[in-house]
Amino acid sequence: MHVNLKNELLQDHWFVVGFGLAVLFATVTLLGPPLAPFDPWDMSFAPISPPTAQHLLGVNDGGQDIFSELLYAVRNTVAFGLVSGLVALTLGVIIGLISGWFGGYIDTVLMRLADVLLAIPAIMILILTAALLRPSPVVLALILAGLMWPTISKAIRAQTLSLREGLHIRAAEQIGGGNWYIIRRHLMPEMFPLYLIGFAAKARMAMFMEASLAFLGLFDPSRKSLGMMISYALKYYYMDIWWNWLLPPIGCLSLLIMTVTFLAISLEKVLDPRLKETLGERTA
Amino acid sequence: MIDHATHSVPRRLGLIITFGLAALAMIYLSYSLPRLLPGDFVTAMYSSSHVTLTAEQEAELRAYYTEEPGFGRYLLKLASLDWGYSYAFLTPVSALFFGALPWTLLLLGTAHVISMLVGFVTGVEAAWRRDSHLEKSMVGGMTVLEGVPEISTGVILLVVFALHLGWFPAAGAETAYAEVSLLARLADVGHHLALPLATLVLAYFPGNFLLTRNSMVMVIKQSYITTARAKGLPARRIRYAHAARNALLPLVTRFGLRLAFMITGALVVERIHSYPGLGTLLYNAIQARDLPVIQAVVLASSLMVLTIILGLEMIYRIIDPRIEHAR
Repeated sequence: MHVNLKNELLQDHWFVVGFGLAVLFATVTLLGPPLAPFDPWDMSFAPISPPTAQHLLGVNDGGQDIFSELLYAVRNTVAFGLVSGLVALTLGVIIGLISGWFGGYIDTVLMRLADVLLAIPAIMILILTAALLRPSPVVLALILAGLMWPTISKAIRAQTLSLREGLHIRAAEQIGGGNWYIIRRHLMPEMFPLYLIGFAAKARMAMFMEASLAFLGLFDPSRKSLGMMISYALKYYYMDIWWNWLLPPIGCLSLLIMTVTFLAISLEKVLDPRLKETLGERTA
Repeated sequence: MIDHATHSVPRRLGLIITFGLAALAMIYLSYSLPRLLPGDFVTAMYSSSHVTLTAEQEAELRAYYTEEPGFGRYLLKLASLDWGYSYAFLTPVSALFFGALPWTLLLLGTAHVISMLVGFVTGVEAAWRRDSHLEKSMVGGMTVLEGVPEISTGVILLVVFALHLGWFPAAGAETAYAEVSLLARLADVGHHLALPLATLVLAYFPGNFLLTRNSMVMVIKQSYITTARAKGLPARRIRYAHAARNALLPLVTRFGLRLAFMITGALVVERIHSYPGLGTLLYNAIQARDLPVIQAVVLASSLMVLTIILGLEMIYRIIDPRIEHAR
């Protein structure tokens, strides 16, 4: 399976498009600050002016260069999604492995906790903490990760349960391999496709959440974000700014979510069709 | 069958305990988080007003607004719908909440019913015509649509249909102060509902379509479908009575699983179209730092979501009896 993996992925159009866009966004994320022509917090330009050669997308109501703002905003949204997705993945894998391998009351307690967290609407917790405590974006990303791990860990647990009956795992136990040795050397590498699928799904959810929270005005207003740019531009929709101010952040956000969606869908399709059931369904 | 009866009772109880714990966690959070709050409503309200408070007045106001009820009394007040007064609107919170709730239910309910029905039927039909040009382009189009977030769809629809073409109103749920007959009023409500509804349907429908199509493709391969064909049953009967029933299960699961996620989109869409539901109420409350309203909207809508998911879990067990026996 691993031999054909690269070819199979490259044959999938969704993967190729998604990967191309991902490279583009990675460039913007990494090179954003040097690429930006102006400091996005510099408010010294003529407010609400149309695009010129100097200001590629014009200037917003606060006298800030929109193109520079956009580069910083993409960076923030991507970073939020990646951090939240990675932490959720790490938590989900560790908890899923422990739950599936050790079983017993550890399993019962962890999975009951997962059920409780699954039922709670994450956005409500985020709104409550963001509105009341005004935490930094990193803290919000961590809270979101703390609410998103259950689906991943349920998939990992189910896979662990079926893997632990495998001959090679039994053999590893027979030659005296300890719990952690088996988990690290045998179980973790074998579930690699599940990590990719879970990560893509969670990163997508986190980016969507970030944009929505910023749109609702729950982040620090000085932090550049696609959602916030849309929200501000929408206040001036009656002026003729929709194509240079409103459309760019909307386009970027849509492309970003599409990128992750395409990658998630094609990874799921190619890596293992059987896993679709495990990741998509709740096994309460 | 006896086995069935003895197993189902504790399982159902476990489910209720899980959701009870989730509800309790939400209630406790909404009770305890505001107590950690720096700053308060008195500062927020009077720092920018023309009224200058004396130190004594300020202390009294602060004492009034930060009164500590204790968790037990908090629960009791919660159950009796006594949610306090809104700081900004100066009306009972429950009145604000129940004024906004019908609009949200109308919007979300209609959006879900339409996107489920349409997504299901098109998904079944697409799977039946697998590998045709129509099916391929539909799957492609839906995958692209699945990648467009509600914020983008909402704003684009608003700009195009409300601002440039002027076909639909840009805000509100009905024309204010219009005294018209019932029928005209219904048409008016529908007219205002169109844009937010279209946004949500466009957001939910592709996922429903893709899921139904994917599970239907798996179901069609089963041998009992071949049997049904061999018996000479009409194609539509096979599709809906035999195959689609099993393709329906993932759709119901997905609904419960994604409900918590979908609420985010609904909040944003209401704000874009200024639809006077819970999302707009919550947005205004956040802007005004109106704590009791934020708390009430967050808590009450979370509890509603929990109830809906619990109900779905119960229904799911009825549609698919295999779950009772599954480990």
